[in-house]
Amino acid sequence: MKRIKIPVGPQHPALKEPISLRMTIEGEVIKDADIRLGYNHRGIEKLAESKTYIQNLYLTERICGICSHSHTTCFAQGVEALLGLEVPKRGLYLRTLVAELERIHSHLLWFGIAAHEAGFDSLFMYTWRDREVVMDILEIISGNRVHYAINTIGGVRRDLDNSQKGRILEGIEFLKKRTGYYTNLGTTEPTFVARTAGIGLLPKEKAISLCAVGPTLRASGVPSDVRKDDPYAAYSELPFDVCTADTCDVLARVVVRVKELIESYKMIEFIIKNLPSGDVKVKAPRRIKEGEVVSRYEAPRGENIHYIKSNGTDKPERLKVRAPTLGNYPATIEMLKNGYVADIPLIFAAIDPCICCAERFVEITDSRGYRNIITMNEIKRRYPSRHINKDYIWPL
Amino acid sequence: MSQQLADRINEVLMGMVIEIKVPAERRIFLTVSADNLLDVIRKLRDDFGFYHLSTISGVDTVKNFEILYHFANSQCCITVRVVIHRENPEIISICELIPGAILYEREIQDLLGITVKNIPDPRPLLLPDDWPAGNCPLRKDWSYQAPEEKIPGEKK
Amino acid sequence: MAAVKTFLYLFVYPGILFLFVYSTFCEWFDRKLYARLQNRIGPAYTGFAGILQPVADFFKLLFKEDIIPEKADRTVFSVLPVVGLAIVITAGLCLPLWNYDLDRSSFNSFQGDIIVVLYLLGLPTLIFFLAGWHSTNFFSTIGGVRVLTMLFGYEVPLFLAVLSPAIVADSWRLAEISYFYQRFPFLLLFQVIGFFVAVIALQAKLERTPFDIPHAETEIVGGTFTEYSGKKLAFFRLMIDIEMVVGSGLIASVFMAGFSGGLIPGLVRFIVKTLFVIAVLSIIRAMCSRIRIDQMVNFSWKYLTPFAVLQLLISIFVKGIIQ
Repeated sequence: MKRIKIPVGPQHPALKEPISLRMTIEGEVIKDADIRLGYNHRGIEKLAESKTYIQNLYLTERICGICSHSHTTCFAQGVEALLGLEVPKRGLYLRTLVAELERIHSHLLWFGIAAHEAGFDSLFMYTWRDREVVMDILEIISGNRVHYAINTIGGVRRDLDNSQKGRILEGIEFLKKRTGYYTNLGTTEPTFVARTAGIGLLPKEKAISLCAVGPTLRASGVPSDVRKDDPYAAYSELPFDVCTADTCDVLARVVVRVKELIESYKMIEFIIKNLPSGDVKVKAPRRIKEGEVVSRYEAPRGENIHYIKSNGTDKPERLKVRAPTLGNYPATIEMLKNGYVADIPLIFAAIDPCICCAERFVEITDSRGYRNIITMNEIKRRYPSRHINKDYIWPL
Repeated sequence: MSQQLADRINEVLMGMVIEIKVPAERRIFLTVSADNLLDVIRKLRDDFGFYHLSTISGVDTVKNFEILYHFANSQCCITVRVVIHRENPEIISICELIPGAILYEREIQDLLGITVKNIPDPRPLLLPDDWPAGNCPLRKDWSYQAPEEKIPGEKK
Repeated sequence: MAAVKTFLYLFVYPGILFLFVYSTFCEWFDRKLYARLQNRIGPAYTGFAGILQPVADFFKLLFKEDIIPEKADRTVFSVLPVVGLAIVITAGLCLPLWNYDLDRSSFNSFQGDIIVVLYLLGLPTLIFFLAGWHSTNFFSTIGGVRVLTMLFGYEVPLFLAVLSPAIVADSWRLAEISYFYQRFPFLLLFQVIGFFVAVIALQAKLERTPFDIPHAETEIVGGTFTEYSGKKLAFFRLMIDIEMVVGSGLIASVFMAGFSGGLIPGLVRFIVKTLFVIAVLSIIRAMCSRIRIDQMVNFSWKYLTPFAVLQLLISIFVKGIIQ
């Protein structure tokens, strides 16, 4: 049969950000795959060398829109290690709280995207609607929905009071119920399972040798999690399990992420109930003596690593960022081979690609409102927020 | 605990280690020479279980280049440092040992202009295909010059 | 008088005008129901509760720029949407809605019109394939090939399922089949399996989730329609809407005792019954994720066709008893 090459990307409905996957296909079967990057390289690493540490904190936040907290935490941790700062416990707990909320929001977002790639739009709408709950919680804590800007060198910038705690617990209670429903749906709905089971196989040995990270690695049966292996922030004191699955396919990646959601709920409840008292931050000097540090962080997509080298001034000599998605690309090529064309979006989505992380570019959303568009307040008035109104019955 | 691991590594890698430091718990910095790189990585991988390459960072120290291989396993994160000359920046590819290193090596090749020998796929990764040769953005002596804007049909 | 009636029949009811208005209404109904099932609001601005949204979409597309790919065959590429629209409207004329006489056959109701409608409904598939093939785009080509592959899956069960009520009614004329079941409605109970087989096959024919494989957005962009824009895309969308109305009308007249009672009661019956079928289609669409092409063909030969054959056997059995 004749082989043809189809370009998936840089602009393609399955991709939310520009990347080019070039598929060589024979009929409906993928014979070869190639990934080209660089469609929006921003040169953040170069830029970071000309900015001060505190400016870099906000720069690293803008590496990614979804896991913005993971990059700042990773950077702040590294700088604190260089300075030898001891961050107060309450600060570490709050940092962990936002990190876990971010994980929930990212995994719910991913679940919706995966469902959409599989053509299951109803599930997509459901998960994204529930994701609003966790976005609201993040807004309650930090004042922002996307770039929380809660980290600072030496701690966090905002504290939590009791009314906020109550609202967080309410939201988590609601999300717990919904996640139970999604677990059921994602693992039993016949058409969805038919699309995910046995697709995008990544055997354990391959996953290890290709240096896959995060849920992709754990779905291949490797219990590797930076939160357990190399505990940072408050993770050494939190009760949680590393979630793995051993079927090595897309379904396993779904299962791992749903399990992680449940672990995150557990952790958040623990944090809220055992929040230590005291300060949330310490003051940090501006100049940093010469040194170097490797900071690791388990982002929602996997291991995030920053290497920072300081040179005695208030600007870093070198900042190297490796976002989790880049680590998963070699494994993705392996997964795509001998799959079907129909599985390209699902397999690619299963690593939860965040291309802007890997390429470090800026995404700008235009928010011009037209006269006819319902405002957020109007929607809230018409459709009462479910986690506030407990009597509201969710139509299933 | 990391100190013990560092001591054991020092023992196993007999003579190949130039410097070994333990700046913090679960962090080891190891300096080796470029000739021993493959042997060191093979030993680390097979004897100590450092299968996972987190990333490769390249640093321009003005005098020369440093290439740092960040490995991790469940106990420790080890950084293998290799110093190479600025005049003839060349390093051997570690893809035969760690196949997942390919993208990081391509990135170093692009951004620092270091030639990676035996690399299975030498195409540029991040920079465009028509990027002018000899421009390595992460080198300290490189600064960006915006090309002069030309509008077709403009008055001379 | 007969000429005026024929003119009205062709152009007003149930011809072009009615099919246009009603199919856009059905699209709105489908979209709104689908949205409510997904916990969304759906169309909300154009007209009452967004009821005019499909019309607005249609006219908006008419005014959009119309691009023909350089390497495409210009004539075929441009003619296909119009031909497709004509085919489905012709199929719509054969539904036993109005202006037919049970005793005499006429141009729109004759022995064997059920076969004609089925074949006319089969032609849009070919149109989609040609549209994909002539777009000379990889995504369109793959989409076109998928259209044909799917055709081999769903066409046989659809034919078997739709023909089994005809066997019991002992007629190949839609009007007579409907009339037969109006007299013996209890016999419809034996056609339940066939009804569901036909609805699922219709879902596949209309290329809606879980069978939206030929234009799976996340896999092959627009599939067959990747290169179509402007007027041509508007015609294609209208064509799919009318196909939905005609397909559900066919199922309603064969499995749900048709639309008796003259002009107005017949219209009401038509609307209620087709909306019921469309609601079932929408619910299926909201419940499933897209399946793969090989899974689709497997599904139709492993499950759909055996059930259709079972239905056929039941029909023959019932036929033997009532004689």
